[in-house]
Amino acid sequence: MARTAAQGEARARNFRLWLTAGPGLFWIVLFLLIPSLVLLGIGFFTSNDYGSPVLPLTLTPFSQVAGNSLLGWDDGNIVIILRSLEQAGIATVVSALLSYPIVFFIMTREASLRPLLLLLIILPSWTNQVVRTYAWLELLGPNAPLTAVAHALGIVPPDLGIAPGAFAVTTGLAYNYLPYMIVPLYASAERLDWTLVEAGRDLYASGARLFWHTVFPQTLPGLLSGVIFVAIPAFGDYVVPQLLGGDKALMIGSLIANQFTETPDWPYGAALTIIMLVFTGAGLVGFRILTRKLGGAGEATI
Amino acid sequence: MSKMVPRGVRNVLAGISWPVYILLYTPLALVAFYSLAPAPNTTGHSVYAYGVLFHDSTVFVALQRSLVLALGSATVSTILGTLLGYGLCRFRVANARGLAANLPSLIIYTPIIMPSLVFGISELIFFNFIHSETGILSAGLMTMVIAHITFQVPYVALTVFARLAGLDPNLFEASHDLYANGIKSFFYLTVPVVQPAIIGGFLLGITLSIDDFTISFFTAGPGSVTLPIYIYSAVARKGISPEINALGTLMITTVMVLAIAHFFITRSRDRRASLLPT
Repeated sequence: MARTAAQGEARARNFRLWLTAGPGLFWIVLFLLIPSLVLLGIGFFTSNDYGSPVLPLTLTPFSQVAGNSLLGWDDGNIVIILRSLEQAGIATVVSALLSYPIVFFIMTREASLRPLLLLLIILPSWTNQVVRTYAWLELLGPNAPLTAVAHALGIVPPDLGIAPGAFAVTTGLAYNYLPYMIVPLYASAERLDWTLVEAGRDLYASGARLFWHTVFPQTLPGLLSGVIFVAIPAFGDYVVPQLLGGDKALMIGSLIANQFTETPDWPYGAALTIIMLVFTGAGLVGFRILTRKLGGAGEATI
Repeated sequence: MSKMVPRGVRNVLAGISWPVYILLYTPLALVAFYSLAPAPNTTGHSVYAYGVLFHDSTVFVALQRSLVLALGSATVSTILGTLLGYGLCRFRVANARGLAANLPSLIIYTPIIMPSLVFGISELIFFNFIHSETGILSAGLMTMVIAHITFQVPYVALTVFARLAGLDPNLFEASHDLYANGIKSFFYLTVPVVQPAIIGGFLLGITLSIDDFTISFFTAGPGSVTLPIYIYSAVARKGISPEINALGTLMITTVMVLAIAHFFITRSRDRRASLLPT
């Protein structure tokens, strides 16, 4: 008797769960999970004359990704993938190096000022990505102030701008994703156990040594979350390389997009997407393992 | 505690941080500055570009579309997301293990972790397929609204969930003891209590919608150019003009006002949670 009542209650609970959570979950499954699985599946189809996927199943798109085509092998794709990794890597390192001083700058201000200082970091990232990216053309474009400086120093040839170019892309990526490094780092710095720092000082550690042995290990989980939040979207970014990069700074995002817009070849584009997600997934898993090893379990999973 | 940081180090921190703060706003300030370009055959600053902008019907239609897109998608995603956050908090068995129990979390985090490019192209292919098979949902404002709802739902759900999870579960017991049924307690207890989170989620949805370009770009049709798409194609085609800068300035200002409003509305409760981007 009691058991059936409990069962009934569990069933009613389940029913309510599906009634409330169901529609939202169903929406995401229908409009995102299924479409993305379809996209991944297309990578194994043959491309017809219009670039649409047709049977039979094949691995040709992946061979195309590796650089093989009717004209023979070409290292273009490998270069683009390596460049994307490099750009994402530099943007991540730059944001990490800037984040530590900024986070501890905010931490050492009055408590009432801190939310505002943090908000000021995040605010630019709430404007549209196109606007805040093209805004950099005002500084780095062919007739822009910083370009004039670069011309005077002879770093950039005359009549060219810093943008379009690889440096402009790095700058744009770091600018776009800096808040994503600062926020998780700030969250972990806020929980910092200062008694450990004090203990370190009592043991006559100071400066860099003190930071390295007391502060850094405690903020490592936040840093690792930040690395994921910056590196993954930067790697697959589309807007920044499109607006600031030009042909010589092409990244994997633009390469993928081209296969679905300008010169359609869906299977090839899907195969490129799979490769991009493999890199992303490998990065995620690698960092999960690293985080766990370093004792920061849970932080990276949000 | 933070007094432990020596004065010299604090000066170095400030010396690095203030330039970064300035650098964060310099490009945006330059957009505003160059929007005040002189009118043709004149010198000095002017609001000429704004005048041109206000008489450009293309921009006006694009603005209308952007607003419909933002408000429409945020409304639906607030309803879906609130129910989702509420359901997961109230009816999910706590600490359950296994794939089935964790499936809702996995589904909720998919739109958040998926790169927007993959998100956008998946939708492009999906809607293309649906349209060629059934004739409905051709690429346009409707497909954009659907895509925008999809990426907003998890954020609203997480906002509402965070608010509810911080509540004393005894409150629900108490309302039950006072003979409120599920629906009554939802409208008389849950809704008032999570109202700040619902409003915050709605504003967050609007902000996310206005912020997005990539997903909009791939789900848009030829007749559904929104402001970000308009700006993108203008800049890609013929570079920056004072009119584009005027438009950019208006967008930056609007978002900043909205974001500051969001900040002050959610400030009374947990300050940090409302600022986290994920």
